[in-house]
Amino acid sequence: MAQQVPQVQRPTFSNALGPRRDPSEASGRWPFYWTRAIYSGYGRRGWGGGGWATDYPKGDRQFLAVLKHLVRLDAYDWENAISLADPELRRFPVLYMVEPGRMDMTEAEVVGLRGYLDAGGFLIVDDFWGQRQWAVFEYNMRRVYPDKAIVDVALDHPIYSSYYDIEEVKQVPAINNALRGYTSECWGCEAWIRGMYDDKGRLMVIINFNTDLGDAWEWAEDPRYPLEYSTYAYEMGANMIVYAMSH
Amino acid sequence: MDRIFEFLFKYRPLVFEQGDFSFAAPGSVRLWLVAVGVVGAVAVASYTVARGKSSVADRGIMSGLRVALFALLVFCLMQPVLILSTVVPQQNFVGVLIDDSQSMLLPDEDGTPRTAFLEEAFDPEQGELLAALSDRFSLRFFRFSDVASRIDGLGELTFNGTHTDLGAALDAAREELSGVPLSALILITDGAHNSDRPLTEALVPLQAAGVPVFTVGLGEEIIAPDIEIGRVEMPRAVLEGSALIVDVVVTQTGLGPGTVPIIVEDDFRILAEETVELGPDGEPVVARISLELEGAGPRRVHFRIPIQAGERVERNNSRTVQIEVRGEREKILYLEGEPRHEVAFMRRAVADDDNIQLVVLQRTAVGKFLRLEISDSTELQFGFPASREELFRYRSLIIGSVEASFFSHDQLQMIADFVSDRGGGLLMLGGRSAFAEGGWAGTPVEEVMPVVMGEPAGGDDGFFAEIKVSPTPAGLAHAAVQLGLTGDAVSARWDSLPPVTIVNPISEVRPGATALLTGSSPDLRDDQIVLAFQRYGRGKSIAMTVQDSWLWQMIPPLEDQSHETFWKQALRWLIDGVPAAVEVVTDQEQVEPGETVRLIATVGDSTYIEVNDAVVTARITSPSGLVEEVRVEWTVQRDGEYVVEFRPTELGEYEVDITAERDGKTLGSDRTYMHVAPSDEEYFGANRHTQTLRRIADETGGRFYTPENVETLPDDITITGAGVTLVEQMPLWDMPFLFFLMLTLMGAEWGFRRLRGLV
Repeated sequence: MAQQVPQVQRPTFSNALGPRRDPSEASGRWPFYWTRAIYSGYGRRGWGGGGWATDYPKGDRQFLAVLKHLVRLDAYDWENAISLADPELRRFPVLYMVEPGRMDMTEAEVVGLRGYLDAGGFLIVDDFWGQRQWAVFEYNMRRVYPDKAIVDVALDHPIYSSYYDIEEVKQVPAINNALRGYTSECWGCEAWIRGMYDDKGRLMVIINFNTDLGDAWEWAEDPRYPLEYSTYAYEMGANMIVYAMSH
Repeated sequence: MDRIFEFLFKYRPLVFEQGDFSFAAPGSVRLWLVAVGVVGAVAVASYTVARGKSSVADRGIMSGLRVALFALLVFCLMQPVLILSTVVPQQNFVGVLIDDSQSMLLPDEDGTPRTAFLEEAFDPEQGELLAALSDRFSLRFFRFSDVASRIDGLGELTFNGTHTDLGAALDAAREELSGVPLSALILITDGAHNSDRPLTEALVPLQAAGVPVFTVGLGEEIIAPDIEIGRVEMPRAVLEGSALIVDVVVTQTGLGPGTVPIIVEDDFRILAEETVELGPDGEPVVARISLELEGAGPRRVHFRIPIQAGERVERNNSRTVQIEVRGEREKILYLEGEPRHEVAFMRRAVADDDNIQLVVLQRTAVGKFLRLEISDSTELQFGFPASREELFRYRSLIIGSVEASFFSHDQLQMIADFVSDRGGGLLMLGGRSAFAEGGWAGTPVEEVMPVVMGEPAGGDDGFFAEIKVSPTPAGLAHAAVQLGLTGDAVSARWDSLPPVTIVNPISEVRPGATALLTGSSPDLRDDQIVLAFQRYGRGKSIAMTVQDSWLWQMIPPLEDQSHETFWKQALRWLIDGVPAAVEVVTDQEQVEPGETVRLIATVGDSTYIEVNDAVVTARITSPSGLVEEVRVEWTVQRDGEYVVEFRPTELGEYEVDITAERDGKTLGSDRTYMHVAPSDEEYFGANRHTQTLRRIADETGGRFYTPENVETLPDDITITGAGVTLVEQMPLWDMPFLFFLMLTLMGAEWGFRRLRGLV
């Protein structure tokens, strides 16, 4: 006789997440806010790529939900997006910037980002592809730091072992490409992890180029998305956050 | 006053103090009282019978006066006497101790040095005091400064002693004269006792032997105008680059209100300059000077006030203090219960500090830790130390947001022992899992902390408030809170810093603890204790209750270094004074050639339990490079304490390296330095110390004199001295006072009769 399987309702974000932050209250009730940078650019918001809001807010919520299971982190459950030009930006020392391949920062955003990084902020950049987008991103970062080099972050860097031991850099595909069986969005290009260091040799910007960690975070629960990439994306995400909060 | 007393009562007050009153006439006192009664009754009866014009009151007054006169006559007929023992002339010895230190050459206001009294009073030809003493006693002379020695005459005095140790002088004289009948010791000095040894140690044997000390105080009680650096309070060792707050005690006399600069310099450059407002005459004021010392090794720091117009003593305007700047890299263990920005920013603040190794053990998941700044791959490989030996390797411990249940009970006790027994520094940071909210109340660590932990606050949502931090008055005087600034700028800088947040409401410090920073918020009924500390056992504990001090780095302008400075100084403060298992110090910062110095070593094992069977060796290197090795012996009186004495002979810096071994295994080693130089100590507090000299005299049964009244000294010793004595009766019936009293009574009766017309 077949055993009856109980009906279990899958929790939704709206009832699984903790309380919302009171906008009138200073940040700090939670030790960590997964903060997304709002910047000016050419891209459109939403599907089709482009813009600061790619995968927003589902990607952010899902990333936090999984991250909190992996890392002992007392984090705010909800998305937290803030403009680079907002003085409150400095209350969030770890910042996530997505799809900067079409960015065009205003002068106020340039000044805000420079001040943020100089003060000790840590920037994680993700999801932009190909030389044209790289050139756009590099141009904008040159406006922030005209003289700072953007260099490869080799695999012996502590960021690859701050939580998980990561032995290779993988190209993480967007979900549509993953479903079609390939990873690259720029036809043959390889994933790079690059970085910018401050004057004392501290890593302050980590750049995930030719890869899309954000999509893996957003679609990790979709059984069609390859486990290999979502695992790597979460490992890399956990490492970047643990590293940023200890270095 | 004494002369009037002596005129009226025939003898000086001292005779009355020393003597026992009695009557020398034959017959009992009762018999004499009966005689007084009879004579009195006759007198009263005669007035009662002969009435004349007088009233009852008149007769009462007159008979009373007559009875008093008769009573006085009877008192004289009873031959009142004072019985006291006096020393037998020329059968007793008196030791004369003369101060031979530099301060004796200081001139009084009229320009004559203190030695002038000696030349006059002890002149072999005309010295009246010498003659009077010699007539009665056999005299033995001693000179003293830091040590005392017998001399044959005053010609052997040199007045170049650089210390005065009154106790050592009294000891030496007492011991030298212990075999002879000693009547008294005479101590001639300005009374400036600048030895660390308490005087009481020398006075007790004299009290036991019944030898009185007669003190003669020389010099002026107040030297004016003058300004003096009385004391400089500075630690003997400091970690390189640490901010120091040094207290300089300044006293002026006769200069009046005003300000003077204090210049602080080492052998190469000016380190700081601070203006101090002078206090009223004779009242010390404390100037707080902050400075920073670079470069490891022994350093001599000079504090100087420029000579003021008309100053009487110039050499007391400067002081030099020896300090050892330590260049070691000290290990602090920082345990954090979860990834927090505080870790990154604290590490960033002290990253360029070569003297601090901030070892981080950050829990990232259950049983999983991130280790940073470890010395080797085995360090902390199993998480938080499980043994005392492992934990006690660190100088200090920082506990972040970690719940108490993370630790075993043994580990909690070990943390408490880390402070109380090992002498380490413990710092607890604010956070969701810190203090009462982290279940720390009721653990062995609660008692260690300087703040009172109440019940966990805020219910399920937790407590949260944003506060503005400001220093307390105690904080303004504390190096950890100075932010590299001085004076009013300190408060202003704290005012400029952004608010921070708390999740552990704490408003009370423990008795004996000190709050250095507090925070205020409209959400709080009482001010939040932000930074507080207390001594606990051999170590100290600090509570820093904010959870996001990193905001002081992120939000202010980039040139603001408050966050870095605060944490750099706070962590240096945390490790400051934390002992090593093996340590050596000298009992004096600076000594003179030939002066004895004690090397004191404390020896413990790796768990800081005192070791008494160690082989401790001191290797002493002189300024010229001569090396001497001496064995340092266990003192027996105290566990783990080893002492050896030695006398440096060269001027300059001596280096002392100490090594402790047990069973062929090295327990540890340490180094200290000792500066050998002539001392200026005699020029500090160079006025006459009347109180000290009075105390010596009072406690031994002697008297205090000045050159103005010293002529009675020989007689006084005769009456009060010890040695070979005889009992003497001193008649009192012929005191002029009694004669005047009789005349007064007779005159009063006659005057009364005249007044009342009864003549």
